[in-house]
Amino acid sequence: MKQDRRIIALFVGSVLILGVIVGGPLLYSIKLSFYTAASFIDTPRWVGSGNYLEIMADPLFWGALVNGLVISISAIVLQVVLGISIALVLNRQFIGQTIVRALSIVPYFLPTVVACLVAQWMFDPNYGLIKSIMASFGRGMFDWGAEPSTAKGMVVLVSVWIWTPFVVTCVLAGLQTIPSQLYEAARVDGASAWKQFWHITLPGLRSVLIVVVLLRGIWMFNKFDVIWLLTKGGPMNETETLPTLAYRRAFIEFDLGAGAAVATVSFLFLAIVILIYLRFFPIDEAKQGR
Amino acid sequence: MTVTQRTPQLSAEAVISAPRRQLLRQAAGGDRLPQNGQAQAADGQTMDISGWPVKKIAMRGGLYAAVLAICVYSFFPIYWMILSSLRAPDKLFLDTSLVLWPPDLSSYKSLLQLTNYPINFLNSVLMAVATIVVATTLSSFIAYGATRLRFRGKTTLVASMLFAYMFPPLMLVIPMSAAFRAVGLADSLGGLLIAHLAISLPLAVWLLWGFFKAMPFDLEEAAMVDGCSQFGAFVKVVLPLSAPGLITVGIFSFLLSWADYVFALVLIMSDQNKALPVALASMLGAQDLRWGEILAGASLIALPLFVIFAFCYRYFVAGLTAGALKG
Repeated sequence: MKQDRRIIALFVGSVLILGVIVGGPLLYSIKLSFYTAASFIDTPRWVGSGNYLEIMADPLFWGALVNGLVISISAIVLQVVLGISIALVLNRQFIGQTIVRALSIVPYFLPTVVACLVAQWMFDPNYGLIKSIMASFGRGMFDWGAEPSTAKGMVVLVSVWIWTPFVVTCVLAGLQTIPSQLYEAARVDGASAWKQFWHITLPGLRSVLIVVVLLRGIWMFNKFDVIWLLTKGGPMNETETLPTLAYRRAFIEFDLGAGAAVATVSFLFLAIVILIYLRFFPIDEAKQGR
Repeated sequence: MTVTQRTPQLSAEAVISAPRRQLLRQAAGGDRLPQNGQAQAADGQTMDISGWPVKKIAMRGGLYAAVLAICVYSFFPIYWMILSSLRAPDKLFLDTSLVLWPPDLSSYKSLLQLTNYPINFLNSVLMAVATIVVATTLSSFIAYGATRLRFRGKTTLVASMLFAYMFPPLMLVIPMSAAFRAVGLADSLGGLLIAHLAISLPLAVWLLWGFFKAMPFDLEEAAMVDGCSQFGAFVKVVLPLSAPGLITVGIFSFLLSWADYVFALVLIMSDQNKALPVALASMLGAQDLRWGEILAGASLIALPLFVIFAFCYRYFVAGLTAGALKG
C-alpha cells in the first residue's frame, strides 16, 4: 500500500503537538526542580539538588507521603470490596437491571467538584443532613472536617463514592468471562455459595482486579482535587498528601522549584511502587479475564 | 511497559463487541448466569403450602433489598443536591423533608443574576467544545498513523500514552503556569485549552488506537483500488465507520475538560475567565451561607452530563471497559 503524504504530514504534525504540550511541561518540571526563585518574576537561580535536600529534610514531606498512602490504600480496599459486592448483585437478573446499572455509575461521571460540594453540604456541622439525623438521635453538632481521623475518613468516603463505579463496571465485565460450567460443576459437588465465590469467582476476577487496583492506585495517589476541595490538607496537615504539598509549595508559598521537586519525587516513588507491583502481579499474564 | 501488550485488543473488543455481547447475554437469559437466585434455589429447597420455595422467595427479597440499597447509595446525594437547590432559601437550613412541592427557583435566579455564573458557564462550554474538536481531530490523525504507517517505535509511541497517565497533574501544571507566564498565556482560556488537551489527548489516542487497530484494512484497500487516495479513504471510509469510537473519545474529552479543577485553579486568576468548577468552589469560601446558590450551580454543572449520559450510556460503558480514562 502506498503511503499518502498527507496522512504522514498530519500524523507527524499531531505527534509534535502532543509531544510539545505533554512532554514539554514534564521535562520543564524536572528542570524547574533544580532551580529556585523567590517569586514568579525573579530570575531563577540554579541550586542543584538543593530543593530535593530541602524537601526531604521537611517532616511535612514524610507526613504527606504517609497520609497519601493511608488515604489511597484505605480508599482502594473499600472500593474493591464494595465494587465486587455491588457487581455481584447487579450481575443477577432482576427487573430494571439496565436502569439500576446505569444509575450505579452516575457518581463516576459527576465532576469531582459537584461530589465534594454535596458532601460538604451534607456534612455541614450547622445545617447538614447528617447533623439533622444525628440530632434526631439526640447527638450534638460535630465538625467532621476538624478532627484528623474524620477528615481523613471524609476524603476516603467521598473518593470511594465517586470511584467505586469504575470497579463495578470492570468487575461486571470480568464476571461475564467466567465459564458457567464451573458453577454448575461446583453445585453438583455441593459447594456452598461462599465456596463458589472464593474458589471460582475471585480467581476468575484476578486479572481484572490486578489492572483495577493498579489504575486506581495511581489515580488515588495523584489525587489533588478531592482533598483540596474537602479539607485543603487540614486539620493540622493531617490530610496533606504529596499533590497538595506540591501545590502549597508552588502556588501558596510561591516556590515553584520546591513544588516541582515534590511532584517529581512523588512521581519517582510511584514509578518504583508500580514496578514492584508489576513484578508480583505481571499484567501480561493477567489477560483481563480472557 | 507491559500494560500495553494486552489492553489494546481489549479496548477494541470492548467498543465493538460490547453491544453484541449484551445481546448474547440477554438471549441466553438466566442460563448464562448460573449464579443467579433462581438457579441456586432450584435445588434442595423447602416448599411451603402454596408450592413456592421459601428459600427462593427469601433470596428474591434479599436481592431486591440489595438493589434498592445500591440505588439509594448511588443516587441519594445527587437527589439531595437537586432537592436542596429547589428549596426556598428560608427553609433550606431547617427543612429536611425528602419530597418538595412546589419547587422554588429563587436560588437559581439569584445565582444567574447576582454572580458570574453565566459567564463561567460559557467559558466552560467553550473549553469543552474546543477540547472535543481538537482532541478528537488530532488523536484520530495520530491513532490512524500509528496503526497504518510503517515506522519504528510504534509500540513505544502508544505505550507512552499510558505513561502520560502516571504523571501527577501537578507535574504538568507547575511548569505550565511558569511557561504560560513567560509567553503571555497566563490567565487566558487559550492556555487552559492547551492544558485540557494535554490531559485528554493521551487518552483519546489510546482509545482510538485500539479502535483503528481492530478495523480491517480491506475496506480502505477496496476504496483505494477504486481510485481513492489513502487520505480520501481515511476521511470517507475509516472515519464514518469509526463513529462509535469517535463519540466515545468525544465524550471522555468533554468529561475531562468539563470536570477539570486543578488546571483551571492554577492557570486562571480573573473571575471573568474562570471555568465553572473553580468558580463554584470559590463561592463556598467567599460568601457564607450561599448554599442555595452553590447547590443550584452544582446541579447546573451536572445537568449536561445527565443529558449526555441518558443518550450515550453505551459509549460511557464502552470507554470505561476500554481500560481508560479520567481518574
